[in-house]
Amino acid sequence: MKSERNNPLPPVSIQSIGAVTPQGRDLQAIGKRLEQPVATTPAVLQVNDEFLSDPAIGSRMRRADRFARMAAVAALDSWAGAKDTCANVPKERIGLIVSSGFGPHCRGFRFIDGILDCGDSDALPTDFSHSVHGAAAAYITELLELRGPSLSTTDFEIGFEQAVLLAQCWLDQQVCDRVLVGAVEEIGEVLVHCASRMLDEKTFVPGEGAVFMMLAPTDAKGLARLEATTEPRDIDLLMLDAPANPSRMARQPLLPTRHTTTFSPYFGHSPSSSAFQLLGGFLSLRAGRPLGRPIQNAAHAPAHLEAVDKVATFKPSCDPRVTSLLITKG
Amino acid sequence: MERSSVWIAGVGAVSSAGSDISSTLDAFANARRNPSNTLPFESSITCPTFQVATALPTLSPALNRSRSLRLAMKAVREAMVEAENKEFDRNARLGVCIGTTVASQLNSIPFYDAYRRDGNPPLESVHDYLRANLAQAIGELLNVSGPRMTIVNACSSGTDAIGVAANWIRAGICDLAVAGGADELNRVAMAGFWSLGVMSSQPCAPFDRDREGLNLGEGAGMLILESASHAHKRNKKHGMEVAGFGAACDGHHLTAPHPEGRGLDAAIRTALSQAGVKPSQIAFINVHGTATTENDRAEGKVIARVFDSHVPLVATKGYTGHTLGAAGGLEAVFTVLGLRKGWIPASVGFENHADDIPVAPVRQRTTIDGEFALSTSLAFGGNNAALLIRRTA
Repeated sequence: MKSERNNPLPPVSIQSIGAVTPQGRDLQAIGKRLEQPVATTPAVLQVNDEFLSDPAIGSRMRRADRFARMAAVAALDSWAGAKDTCANVPKERIGLIVSSGFGPHCRGFRFIDGILDCGDSDALPTDFSHSVHGAAAAYITELLELRGPSLSTTDFEIGFEQAVLLAQCWLDQQVCDRVLVGAVEEIGEVLVHCASRMLDEKTFVPGEGAVFMMLAPTDAKGLARLEATTEPRDIDLLMLDAPANPSRMARQPLLPTRHTTTFSPYFGHSPSSSAFQLLGGFLSLRAGRPLGRPIQNAAHAPAHLEAVDKVATFKPSCDPRVTSLLITKG
Repeated sequence: MERSSVWIAGVGAVSSAGSDISSTLDAFANARRNPSNTLPFESSITCPTFQVATALPTLSPALNRSRSLRLAMKAVREAMVEAENKEFDRNARLGVCIGTTVASQLNSIPFYDAYRRDGNPPLESVHDYLRANLAQAIGELLNVSGPRMTIVNACSSGTDAIGVAANWIRAGICDLAVAGGADELNRVAMAGFWSLGVMSSQPCAPFDRDREGLNLGEGAGMLILESASHAHKRNKKHGMEVAGFGAACDGHHLTAPHPEGRGLDAAIRTALSQAGVKPSQIAFINVHGTATTENDRAEGKVIARVFDSHVPLVATKGYTGHTLGAAGGLEAVFTVLGLRKGWIPASVGFENHADDIPVAPVRQRTTIDGEFALSTSLAFGGNNAALLIRRTA
């Protein structure tokens, strides 16, 4: 079997983006942080709890954990940004796709605490119901009163890319008129422990957060256009999920581009890293110049850019299926 | 918009009802079920479960510890043989879309117990978990690099996976797709459903007046979907197609369905309208029928509202237990079998009409006639999905 040759679907229009990250929740503030060099990268990049409350949530998520809260606040921010353009779209016509690698695993371990401490028949039902992957999506649909298709997915490499591809599918086939698509990862102590033993801590810094975007059909006016693709061409800025240690970057193959950058030192690494790279790329597009940490590579030294109109994420380690997300202005 | 056909080229199933299609049909024909009172793991909970007793494929040592993956591969291989995969165009793009619940969670109790005790647990189960993401692992085993997605929509995952794969094929992203669901019995899920108070101490009785709750089961149900152009290229005429799919969420509650089945109603109407089919054209419905009080009541209300009350219903969880992420895949296969054979089995476990449910499943093997059949799924998080299958020959 050969790989898919490319994505035949038209790009979609990004109506809004909402995010909660280790660099904050406000997009303008995050953009400013991405302009500043990172002196030292901490061992873990976590989201500050202060960003996880919201008047729109009130007490409706009192039983929810950080995983569901991160997803909810990012989705709410995206929703707020798209309010005007979604005003006339029936809630039945708005779909939701939530991708994650590890899902709400911290709550899963809390449920196992209950099994180990109290026995199989006395663990808490609230911990169980919140430990399933779909819990975050359930809160989002309840908060936003969405009635369209809702999907939660898991993948350790290309979950967000495949979620965007499916959103393109749904919009092209008129399954929905809007799709709220997002990625969320939570980092807990068990995962940090595992990462420290399984991965080189010089190259891998666990990160968490959530990024959501409201997507509309290709002809809708929006902030930028987005598509999942196999190999983006003629790009100004390539965003790589790069190792924390830049010297290790030189080993990785790159696509032809005028400038390469990474946002990993700001957001960390996770199965959903590309959503955060995409966020950095979008903010670069908006700023008109590359943000993040430039990557020096013998073959592709950073060039001075007059403008940034076309940016893409790329996962060099993955096989050649849809592993890239391309954003263009307009 | 003109919709191209998505053919069902092959099906495969493994569950407590049977190790393959043939033995499943035999169990259905004889209304035979095999609940077990012995669990495959240590637990203080005692209740019937529906287990798979047959030998499963042996995978590489790195993958062989995932029972969900081995169940999935058993059904995939059967479906591939029926689809005559040796005839597939070697340049065809194959996608993999699989629903699951247990295989998506790092829920190894020994690992976590060791972590709590000495902070330095063996990491084997973490490696296993990372390797055995179902769509990722099946894609690697089949040596494909088309689109892939592991769907974790709880109990509707398998149905959703088939709907997504059909979307891919219609969009031209792939020519063929493996789609369905797989799940194994697991102590954490068992304790979870017990904690929710939705498990029965007796073999389950879907839609019955005296239903007490669900029994967990394990298994896998897989479909091989094929684009019209790929089927045409290999001169293949299939007798079944995915005619429609609808999904809609309740937006109501994390664990309970909307009392009036709002999302399921929308999902069914979407699936029907996609195919331009009237409710009266439906030959039968393979209901979700978990045997929990609220699920069956909400589902029954929707079916009574949307369909003629005489449409035959079959509840197959009496044979398989609730196989969670596998349920939608298995029940899609059972729906294909019903259309193919022209009969649906007795809804084993159902005896007495329930006052709170306006419809009832069939009590005995029932001949059906018609082109279209529906499989419905309801899930945690208020997810609902409906899959419409059409017999064309």
